[in-house]
Amino acid sequence: MEIKGEHLQIGYGDVQVVSDMDIHIHPGKITSIIGPNGSGKSTVLKALTRLLPYQGGVVTLDGKSLREYSAKEIARRVGVLPQIHSAPPDFLVKDLVGYGRVPYQKWYEKNNEEDEKIVNWAMQCTGVWKLKDKSIHECSGGESQRVWIATVLTQQPEILFLDEPTTYLDIAHQLEMMQLVRKLNRENKIGVVMVLHDLSQAMEVSDWIVVIRDGKKYDEGTPEEVITPRMMREVYDVSCDIVHVPGREKPLIAYKEIG
Amino acid sequence: MKTSRKRKVSALRIGTVWLILLLALIVLSLVAVNVGSAGYSISQILSALFSPEKSTVKVVVVNLRLPRLILALLIGASLSASGAILQSVMRNPLADPGTIGVSAGAGTAATTILLLFPHMTNAVPVFAFGGAALACFLIYTMAWKGGVDPTRIILSGVAINSVLGAYNSLLQMLHSDSLEGVLAFMNGSLSGRSWSQVRILSVYAGIGLILAFLCIKGANTLQLGDEMAKSLGVNVSVTRVLLSAVSAFLAASTVSVAGMIGFVGLVVPHISRLLVGSDYKEMLPTSMLMGAVVLLAADTVGRTIVPGMEIPVGIVMSVTGGPFFLYMLRKRGRVYGN
Repeated sequence: MEIKGEHLQIGYGDVQVVSDMDIHIHPGKITSIIGPNGSGKSTVLKALTRLLPYQGGVVTLDGKSLREYSAKEIARRVGVLPQIHSAPPDFLVKDLVGYGRVPYQKWYEKNNEEDEKIVNWAMQCTGVWKLKDKSIHECSGGESQRVWIATVLTQQPEILFLDEPTTYLDIAHQLEMMQLVRKLNRENKIGVVMVLHDLSQAMEVSDWIVVIRDGKKYDEGTPEEVITPRMMREVYDVSCDIVHVPGREKPLIAYKEIG
Repeated sequence: MKTSRKRKVSALRIGTVWLILLLALIVLSLVAVNVGSAGYSISQILSALFSPEKSTVKVVVVNLRLPRLILALLIGASLSASGAILQSVMRNPLADPGTIGVSAGAGTAATTILLLFPHMTNAVPVFAFGGAALACFLIYTMAWKGGVDPTRIILSGVAINSVLGAYNSLLQMLHSDSLEGVLAFMNGSLSGRSWSQVRILSVYAGIGLILAFLCIKGANTLQLGDEMAKSLGVNVSVTRVLLSAVSAFLAASTVSVAGMIGFVGLVVPHISRLLVGSDYKEMLPTSMLMGAVVLLAADTVGRTIVPGMEIPVGIVMSVTGGPFFLYMLRKRGRVYGN
């Protein structure tokens, strides 16, 4: 599905965070939104997924305004993993993942056999099948993050929005998360839009990168086009070189020594 | 193998909890009809109940103890269900029906009638219910800003509760010579209640408890956090308001019949959560059952512990509930480790 934001104005109360932004999410691709803290990355992600109402402009899904869809219609096509999510620690993994079927149900309906199949599929897909009878409390940080991805996957979305999916994870689990994202994209043909802080990771897994600075789009393009010493200086105020390492497909960012 | 055993244990645990509560309910009910200022043996009671003649035993048991017992069960179940639902609405373990103004609203209405319009004392239940509903409506109206979020509800609740509390105190100071009725209302008592109250409350509590069961899925999804619930297509604000309405309805019904009984709505859902977990499918029925048991126990203790005197059930609840609650918290804290 194609998602477009045009002339977006988004804010909280009187504070305008994003002004007049155009953003285009290409179907089936991995798109990363990057930018400094407070630049409005998460705000854009929330507005595109109707978690936050936008004050001006329009967001369209396949050419139709976001506001013309019902909440459940969107939830059946767009999965969002917010940055802040919590479940009671004693919820079992399989029960939590089961809530991903809510968009397909009336308010009184329970998961039927068909729903359970999809729940099981999502748990296998994300590698949490073995944890299914454990409580959230018993899962590690990396495990519980994958459980949440499984929950969102159970919605059977065409596109997945992840708000800083690797924050709070150690490096091993960060890389595991990126592998999972790539797998979902390549094998399951799910589009992914994520807010990322780690630029090397963004460069490695993304097809397309959108750079946001001060609530405005600074640049967008392929990782090689966008992540440049000039961008790093202008957006992050950081000096760096982009170095190609033999044997690696994607370049790395070498930051200037702290001194 | 290991994982499937785990699930069975938890189902077993829930079963055990329910069985124990059910047994406690039966035993307590028998005790409650049995004890009192006039002590009868079970055989005396049974023979009196099944004999066609009118006897003192029959009058005491049928007209005094039985309605009181049923009221205690209904009120305990309703208040606990009300508190349980509200805790998910607020995503806050400290939420109880007082938070959304039910107690203050009912108290204000009752105090006003009892002190300023004493000739309308019979209408106190109706006004208490209305006052509770009005205060709750006011709090939600104040908190509404394109939706309701728990912090705003709690804060506007604090504000409205404080204004109503001040009004109540003032009224009581000005009429300090005729506070008996007000005190009885404020401390929640089942003294002297009869079948007519049972008839009213069983209708309200019946409706309320059925509505509470319909809240289960909504309460569970709210526990996942606002943004997650929203992204699952749930209308979070509407769910909050509907669940709050059910909760307020349950609490207001009990207040109108028995006055304000605190602590049940706060403590019982908590203990239920510790015992059977946070899934409302199990937690809500456990709360109802436990609330019924706890309130019946408190009322029975209150009317028998000091001969010739009744201690209001609300006071018994607060005095015993607090320490027990602390004990539960500390004990569970050790089990979970952190």
